[in-house]
Amino acid sequence: MATDTGGRFDEAGGDVSGATGLRADLGLGDTRRLRRGVGGVVGFVVVWHLVSLTTSPIVLPSPAAVAEAFVVELASGTMTAALLSSVRHWIPGTVVGTGLGVGAGVAFGWSRVLDDVTAPLVRALRPVPPLALIGFAIAWFGLNHAGAAFIIAVGAFWINFYAAYGAVEGVSEDLLDVGRTLGVRDDLDMIRSVVLPASLPGITTGIRTGLGRCWMLVVAAEIFGVPGIGREILRASNNLLVDTSIAYILVLSLMYLVVDVAFRATQRRVLAWQA
Amino acid sequence: MAGVNGDGASTSDVGGAENGGTTDTAGGTENGGTTDTAGGTENGGATAGTDGRRAADEGVVVDRVGKTYGGSGSSSGETAVRALDDVSFAVDRGEFVCLVGPSGCGKTTLFRIIAGLIEATDGTVRLGGAPVTGPTTDMGVVFQEYHLFPWLTVEENVGFGLDRTDRPEADRDARVTEMLELVGLDEFRDAYPKSLSGGMKQRVAIARALAVDPALLLMDEPFGAVDAQTREMLQRELLDVWRSTGKTVLFVTHDVAEAVTLADRIVVMAADPGRVREVVDVDVDRPRERGDPAFGEHVARVRDLIGTGE
Repeated sequence: MATDTGGRFDEAGGDVSGATGLRADLGLGDTRRLRRGVGGVVGFVVVWHLVSLTTSPIVLPSPAAVAEAFVVELASGTMTAALLSSVRHWIPGTVVGTGLGVGAGVAFGWSRVLDDVTAPLVRALRPVPPLALIGFAIAWFGLNHAGAAFIIAVGAFWINFYAAYGAVEGVSEDLLDVGRTLGVRDDLDMIRSVVLPASLPGITTGIRTGLGRCWMLVVAAEIFGVPGIGREILRASNNLLVDTSIAYILVLSLMYLVVDVAFRATQRRVLAWQA
Repeated sequence: MAGVNGDGASTSDVGGAENGGTTDTAGGTENGGTTDTAGGTENGGATAGTDGRRAADEGVVVDRVGKTYGGSGSSSGETAVRALDDVSFAVDRGEFVCLVGPSGCGKTTLFRIIAGLIEATDGTVRLGGAPVTGPTTDMGVVFQEYHLFPWLTVEENVGFGLDRTDRPEADRDARVTEMLELVGLDEFRDAYPKSLSGGMKQRVAIARALAVDPALLLMDEPFGAVDAQTREMLQRELLDVWRSTGKTVLFVTHDVAEAVTLADRIVVMAADPGRVREVVDVDVDRPRERGDPAFGEHVARVRDLIGTGE
């Protein structure tokens, strides 16, 4: 079935759109790419397996051992609980950080005054890594989901802030002129009708980058004891259970993949007007 | 412009018949009237004649407009550049005027001042008797690079200006359809600009500019970015649109043959600083053929004034 479809698309010159969006989102636009991708994964696992034969399982466990650890953790319910726990701070952290980042980026990118007032502050705060704020997270929110969400939100904020800021700054002056000649009179109408749609490609690229970064920050956010996938990775590592640790890293990767594919499909739909 | 004869003739025509009369003005009478003007006054007369007629009958009046960039007042110490100096001319209601000149003569600066997008250092621009102080929907502006909103469909682009008026929904839709039919793009109403050719994009831009029913259609080298064949087709279409809507048109171009094809009168500019060199009447019947000797004479005359051999 899948091969048939793929064959047709090969004949059509690899043209992919619309209905085959999901496969395209996975980066599997045509059968040749699909075959190469599968080949790459299989090759990687084979090399991994061969290398693991030459070392102790503490240095590098075999793929089979990782798969076994995955099944064990899943069967015991630990993995599901950890994932649900991570999601409980990943979602609010990502949503709040993304929302504030895009909002601030658009506002500061649009308003010269706001930008001038905040520029020194922004430059001073920008280099602070989210992890360095763990003390504040604990003091302000405690050892809980809110504290972890704070760390994630900080990471999401800066990525989205700069993406939105740059996108708004890059909006063509000519389009603003056209808006003015067609009766756009106030800033709010200009932002809603011209600036936001024109900068949407840049903003959504920022959001997509941020979504990935937030999964990475899950590990950092759980470093001080909030339960979740990151916590399990750290605990397994501390106990030299490298296979279990890798199994949880895999969960993180899969979550990222699912979210990224879903977002890219949405992005494609929203930006259907793009050339 | 300034000639009493010319003003008298055109005013009575336009004033007398409003919509119905504008076609007449375009096709027949204006030639006789404006010839007098050319012989008598050349330029500089834009202000003199305005007193005698009703402000509402005025099209566009560019009155002693000057523009200086940098220099005095700025702390940067750069030398002042005089881009425009004492530019005066007028476009009567329903008239089609082209603005030509060598590169660097400030055509685009003047276009942006008339559109209200930048401020003049000296002088004023009046539209229908009222000074232009900023962008106004009484002017439909068409840019060289179309500048359609890529995220809006053809239909939404044309409706953009109407959405900012208090027209009822049904009224708005009818107007959009009317505009799309005017430029022959009704079947592409749901397409995004990315799938349109350059010529089609510019038609959409014209429809978008005309949708809010502005008093003036102001165009800056609108056909400069399309191929020669499309350009000629768009020129013919623009003349049709002009004839059927009776709009006042001010059309900036660097293409002398284009100006002679389109205009009732051609304002020829000179550079350093940008100023009006002369206003040339084009008293050739439409449709104008490039092979016609009168056409060639006008082209030669304007090119001579611009000072380029080509």
